[in-house]
Amino acid sequence: MTAEPITLRVNGQHFEVTVPPNRLLLDVLREDLRLTGSKRGCDDSSCGCCTVLADGVPMLSCVMLAASYQDAEIATIEGVAENGRLHPLQEGFCVEGGAQCGFCTPGIILVAKALLERNPNPTRQEIAEALSGNLCRCTGYTQIYASVEHAIRKLQEAPVGSGKA
Amino acid sequence: MSLPPFMLLRPRRLDEAVVRLADYGPEAMIVAGGTDVVPNLRAGLFSPRALVDIKGIGELGGIRFDPRSGLELGALTTLTAIAESSVVQEHYRVLAEAAGTVASPVLRNMGTLGGNLCLETRCLWYNQSTVWRKACGFCLKKDGTVCHVAPGGERCWAVWSGDTAAALMTLDAEIEIASPRGRRRMPLTEFYKNDGMDRIRLGRDEILSGVRVPARLAGYRGSYQKLRIRSAIDYPLAGVAVAMQLENGICRDVRLGLTAVNPAPLLVREVGELLRGQRFSPEAVEAAAHAVIRTGKPLKTSVSTPEYRRDMLRVFARRALTRLWSSNGGH
Repeated sequence: MTAEPITLRVNGQHFEVTVPPNRLLLDVLREDLRLTGSKRGCDDSSCGCCTVLADGVPMLSCVMLAASYQDAEIATIEGVAENGRLHPLQEGFCVEGGAQCGFCTPGIILVAKALLERNPNPTRQEIAEALSGNLCRCTGYTQIYASVEHAIRKLQEAPVGSGKA
Repeated sequence: MSLPPFMLLRPRRLDEAVVRLADYGPEAMIVAGGTDVVPNLRAGLFSPRALVDIKGIGELGGIRFDPRSGLELGALTTLTAIAESSVVQEHYRVLAEAAGTVASPVLRNMGTLGGNLCLETRCLWYNQSTVWRKACGFCLKKDGTVCHVAPGGERCWAVWSGDTAAALMTLDAEIEIASPRGRRRMPLTEFYKNDGMDRIRLGRDEILSGVRVPARLAGYRGSYQKLRIRSAIDYPLAGVAVAMQLENGICRDVRLGLTAVNPAPLLVREVGELLRGQRFSPEAVEAAAHAVIRTGKPLKTSVSTPEYRRDMLRVFARRALTRLWSSNGGH
């Protein structure tokens, strides 16, 4: 098994890394690209802490072979804030106390972001279902749902990219 | 924990992929969504020389429905796409429900129909890390000589733990299999061997390429009931799929499938014989539920007790049949 050069597109940037074919995307992100926002939780595809977006779709980077995702646009938590301004979801987690230890937060924010792009006004039940694969051991989820709902309100007032603060 | 070493091949065409599989023979494995294969690689259950990633094969995607010819599903169709498909929800309800219960939303975005139909069997003694398996004693299926579930026998009782297969069996689904020799079709019911060691009839140079569901089952009422500890993420511990056709309250046709209790998903054919031509009655439902628990044989393959899983089969059979049969809407 020899390491081979691969190209990944992460948060809009191209990266060239030389990795063996059994290298997981999570490891490339964390160790090669030093994007440590994506977390290794269970290492068993059960917890959701390593969630990234591939072409806008939430996926678990702990079961993704990096070399298999060279055609995809990968987004990690590091790419969610724009121009130094927090995304309304990140703001929601600050305001509503959605993060305690914070380990599950990056994955949850990315799943919530994908949800709101498909469904800008989900019910609490729909939010809970979308996040049902993301385990949080601290919050009991209530503050997480409130954080997402905060973002829903903010996005309705001023959609991202509208130029309004 | 890192994965064992392997070569990664990424064919773009199906004919190329089956040739690659033939080249490597038993040393090759297919990967698509990776949600089953990668954790199993990590647990040291396989050590393939080549992993053939079929995700890039465009011809294996897509959902097509024609009222005359029925439903065609490419093997790479994700479970999310099936669960959310309006065509599947409207015409093949039991499949939409089963697909929508697999694992978690994020895993359904990755996991494919082909992968779900070819899942590795699961057992408390098998799906564990090498360290765990070594400490507790290797089992018959991997590295050992004894089945810890049934030490007296010579069989492996690892459980079929997919959700969509039982649902598709109730819909008379056929699968298409591609190999370097061409394509063949097979009823899904014949695909499974009911052997925990060797679960499916798929040659080393073959790929399950698609699924077809006949048009005549479009519009059947459907229900999928699943037991698991958490309402997301977990594999099923027992599952019941029912497809039923009603006419003025009379059961014209019904099929009931079981999963997660035997080494294969199974149809309980007796249920059709018992209920066809009948009007709803609690006694008829009870007779069918009894046939279900005679077929389902849960053993100590999970942390839940076999007794509980068996009881839940009866509950699910009652619940699904009653829901579909005794109401107008069926849901």
